[in-house]
Amino acid sequence: MLSVKNLVKQYGDLTAVDQVSFEAGPGSVFGLLGPNGAGKSTTIHCISGLLQATAGHISVAGHDLAKDARNAKKSLGVVPQELALYEDLPAIDNLRYWGKAYGLRGKALEERVRDVLVTIGLGDRASEMTKNFSGGMKRRLNFGCGIVHRPAVMLLDEPTVGVDPQSRERLFELVEAERANGTCILYTTHYMEEAERLCDSVAIIDHGKLVVQGSVTELRAQLGARDVLQLHGAFPAEETERAVLNLAQENALDLEIIARETSQLTLTLTAASHHLPAVFQAITDAGGQVSETSLRSPNLETLFLLLTGKELRE
Amino acid sequence: MSFLVSSIWKDLRRWKQDRLAIVIWLGIPLMIGGLITALFESDSAAKPQGVLLIADLDDTLLSGLVSGAYSQGELGDMILVEKTSAEEGAARINAGEASGFLTIPSGFTAAFLDGRPVTLELKTNPSQIILPGIITDVTEILLDAGFYVRELFGAEIDQVLNAGGTTPASDALVASIAVAVQNKIESAAPLLFPPAIDLEIADPTDDTPQVPIALLFLPGMVLMALMFSANGLAGDYWAERERGTLRRLVCTPRRLFEFIAGKALAAGIVITLVGFITLVLGFLYHGISWSKMPPAALWIALSGVALFAWFGALQMLTRTRGAANLLTSMLLFPLLMVGGSFFPFAALPESIANIGRRTPNGFIVDRLTTELTGASTWVIDSQSWLLLGLMAASGLVICGWRLGSGFARG
Repeated sequence: MLSVKNLVKQYGDLTAVDQVSFEAGPGSVFGLLGPNGAGKSTTIHCISGLLQATAGHISVAGHDLAKDARNAKKSLGVVPQELALYEDLPAIDNLRYWGKAYGLRGKALEERVRDVLVTIGLGDRASEMTKNFSGGMKRRLNFGCGIVHRPAVMLLDEPTVGVDPQSRERLFELVEAERANGTCILYTTHYMEEAERLCDSVAIIDHGKLVVQGSVTELRAQLGARDVLQLHGAFPAEETERAVLNLAQENALDLEIIARETSQLTLTLTAASHHLPAVFQAITDAGGQVSETSLRSPNLETLFLLLTGKELRE
Repeated sequence: MSFLVSSIWKDLRRWKQDRLAIVIWLGIPLMIGGLITALFESDSAAKPQGVLLIADLDDTLLSGLVSGAYSQGELGDMILVEKTSAEEGAARINAGEASGFLTIPSGFTAAFLDGRPVTLELKTNPSQIILPGIITDVTEILLDAGFYVRELFGAEIDQVLNAGGTTPASDALVASIAVAVQNKIESAAPLLFPPAIDLEIADPTDDTPQVPIALLFLPGMVLMALMFSANGLAGDYWAERERGTLRRLVCTPRRLFEFIAGKALAAGIVITLVGFITLVLGFLYHGISWSKMPPAALWIALSGVALFAWFGALQMLTRTRGAANLLTSMLLFPLLMVGGSFFPFAALPESIANIGRRTPNGFIVDRLTTELTGASTWVIDSQSWLLLGLMAASGLVICGWRLGSGFARG
């Protein structure tokens, strides 16, 4: 349904997207995860036709975006990160306009517009000026404009940024409803909890490159049962690392150091909460000092930390 | 309904809400045009008029002639004579209600006939300049005339006075006085009436029709309305970009040209409406033949699209909305000034007018002026239509290129 192969996008010497490949099938949500500036939006802009890819191949519902852009775009529904609405038109006219832009006409258009208004919960406010809507209502209408033509593939670029929890929940329901209708959804976000809730499979992108991809279950399995322990404080270089590794060896702990800096030490450890006193003691004996501790169960966020050595929201 | 029609409706519905802008686009040229018309129309009709109060205390035939002298000929159009009492006259001149107050004293006629000195008292209004001056000059001329009449015909006047007791005067006396007056006039005739010279002033032949100056402003006013509205509507490209609707549009299977054409046609409708209202008011006021309306209306319709296309292109060539507004404003007013909107070409130095006629708006104004008044350089011919069409098309092509080359992405 959506196929991206070896996608490259360069701006002069800067490579924003580097050999990115993934595939997503119908009735599924594919999450493209990564921190700000990782290349998520550039990837989605290349797929939507906003940007021309430097190299690579994109196919939407069987249509090559480079060779058959018109049909590829007909199959695409885009819900941009920023609102893209005519606020000086009523909600119904926004839907009509974008429906016509995708080739809907006459009775079919009117029926579909009515359906979408009900779906997004604006059926009773169809004729109201969009500028009078709340932020959440505008978000829903923004979503509605992206699905009015029943696209086979939907691109949702961080649709929940700046959205209140109630509207976010409503958006999740809309996404799930579209998936149930058989739509293939590409969903970008830097909120891992959103990805874990919505996505059937995910790809993590950093510095324009895919770090890892697979189903959420597969990726969790990569973490195993190890918790992520993040310590802040002062850590003398060699001594701390040696002390922690010695501790693991002596006690047969399933421990791995992910990243070490003078002020931060990140490691993974099975049943970390049971071994915290021993870890603190080893660090203190090595001349280190712990001022803050963070212990997290395995999830996509900790996977990202594991793979890149840095926080997702850095 | 095609996407093109849908785009037109979309923009018309949106712009309809901004009625204030339409009123301003229409109002500024109408206000300026109205002021100019009022200025030139009132200039030809208005004449100063003042009130001269006369207290005739003598109340004789001669004092009546003096009073009547101020109402003769064109002087009567400027000076309104009111007879009044001495007290009321003094009060009103002191209150500034008149330009002058003349008092003819009792015994004026008798003194004049006897050749005795007599004083006419004239008070003028110090807050006025022109009319009191005229009244003073006229009074001095009247006094001079009276002096010379007394000098020339003193003997005849004395004869009449001396015969005052015999009523009626004998035919012989009347005849002798008439002969004497006639002789004096004839003897003075060579001095008083020099050889007559017939001076005939022939107007130079002028092929250009004489057009009221206010009418010459009309095409410029129409173009001013067109320019303001075209510039205002062209800012909508930036509005759409900031709202993100251009980005969404690029993601649709639609060609950008359909969107641009739709916007240009919607703008053309609004601009034509604004220009048409200005034109109709001008036609009604100046009594222009309605047969000239169809070509003039079509001309402004295509002009509106062309101006919108170019203002849109200029707006999209800049990097920020502020820079876009600055650029178009910087261009707008000099173009209006040199292009015949603030001053008609007929009122501009020929060298500047020649430059102005070659500006985009001057090109349009000049041909519209010829169409409406017959008093300009070029006419709306097939070549003019072609040039205007090319102007519109080239502007739209630049708009399309800018939308596709990154403006829409933001």
